Amino acid sequence: MQPWVYSETVKEHFLNPRNFLMGDETKYPHDTEGVVGNPICGDQMKMFLCVQDGKITDVKWKTYGCASAIASTSALSELVKGKTLDEALKVGPREITDCLGGLPKHKIHCSVLGHEALAAAIENYRKSE
Amino acid sequence: MIQQTYLDYAATSPMLPEVKQAMLAAMKAGYGNASALHGAGNAAKRVIEEARQAVARLINAEPDEIIFTSGGSEANNTVAEIFRGKKVAVSAIEHPSVLESMRVRAKECKVIPVDQAGRVNLANIPADVDLVSVMLASNELGTIEPIAEIVRCCKKHNTLIHTDATQAVGKIKVDVKALGVDYLTLSAHKIGGPIGIGVLYVKNGAPYCPLIVGGHQEQKRRAGTSNVLGIVGLGAAATWCWDNWSCKIFAEKVRPLRDKLRERILREIPYSSCNSPEEGCLPNILNVSFRAAEGESIQLYLDAEGIMVSTGSACAAGDIKPSHVLMATTGDAEIAHSSIRISLGLDTTQKDIDKVMEVLPGVIKKLQDMSTIKLNNEL
Repeated sequence: MQPWVYSETVKEHFLNPRNFLMGDETKYPHDTEGVVGNPICGDQMKMFLCVQDGKITDVKWKTYGCASAIASTSALSELVKGKTLDEALKVGPREITDCLGGLPKHKIHCSVLGHEALAAAIENYRKSE
Repeated sequence: MIQQTYLDYAATSPMLPEVKQAMLAAMKAGYGNASALHGAGNAAKRVIEEARQAVARLINAEPDEIIFTSGGSEANNTVAEIFRGKKVAVSAIEHPSVLESMRVRAKECKVIPVDQAGRVNLANIPADVDLVSVMLASNELGTIEPIAEIVRCCKKHNTLIHTDATQAVGKIKVDVKALGVDYLTLSAHKIGGPIGIGVLYVKNGAPYCPLIVGGHQEQKRRAGTSNVLGIVGLGAAATWCWDNWSCKIFAEKVRPLRDKLRERILREIPYSSCNSPEEGCLPNILNVSFRAAEGESIQLYLDAEGIMVSTGSACAAGDIKPSHVLMATTGDAEIAHSSIRISLGLDTTQKDIDKVMEVLPGVIKKLQDMSTIKLNNEL
């Protein structure tokens, strides 16, 4: 294999993304969702959560963006599954980046967007409660 | 081991066997400093002058109009240096080595807009500038600019004209006399020569001032010990292009493969669109966009399958801004972010095209499935 631009973990998540929501999102029953970013900026992420008794029982996501954006949402979905909403909110950009074995400096914003998409979903859930 | 499919020739093209041979022979000969008066120096001087003639012949220039530089970027920067403090106009889709070097050196740098195909409209060429710089063909789209017409328009206002022919040389006929340009840039590694050597053509009598000073080399027009190995490699590449009618090979062998690939992508991949014009385009470049799929991800999924393409231009890698070229032609950031450039070369075969069409539709489908952007049928 030739050397790759990102870490092996980013590559793994990018090539085999976990928990992404395939196709039509209206067919996936969920309790809340959050979206950040904009295709015009080159990245958009959407997180879908199922919540029961304050705990995240299932996570799905959709992402338009580069390899590190896809890997960030994939890693985040694994990190927060089974956590309480408060615990999940503590998973910040730093935790996502660490879990991925680091991101290039100009791609750190992908981990920030991931965290913000999750935070938006949780905020939407709390507002609707 | 995955079979590698290289489709990024516009970024750099592998060295021709004849180029390697010529450079190895030069390495073994162990030439002296071309400025020295002794035998080893004279031998170096001789091979340099042979290479100069080969390059001049390829673009129909006079040998003393050829200045060897470290590459296309240096040649473009040299033109900007000549017009330091003057008024210039450049097309919106120029390479950054034209755009940025002109911006920092010129008193005023106007930007000439382009149409959807990336083409400059003659009516938009300003009359009150000292220099107009428009590339012969776009590195990202392949669009060929109407340089001869632009020159005629410029001559009416006594404006000098530079064209960056880096992508065009070897692919289509480039004749400096027929074009009528005052300055022209070319680079060796886009025509099967080595990286690190290029040429600035300066028409006899055109204003000049060196970018690199402190030596009498290149008739005091570019200081620094002559890069004999690079120059020999460039000479060999130019000779190969001339002897083998490279433009004919590109027209007859490469273009049909590119056209076939475009046709199959547009027919077989939903929500695909072509950014390169169908006519008036280099024979080897194809720039395409796929709705809801981001360019870097497409590129890296293809790379994982051994297919090498680029997003916009290689210089854009590491840059998160959308391509300034696609922004100028489409004004649509989403199309710009969702594009890849496939560029073919002399070694490209039908097999390579088949391989792309085996892999690309699945890659696009996967990214579209994953994407936040909804496709029309889901609205």
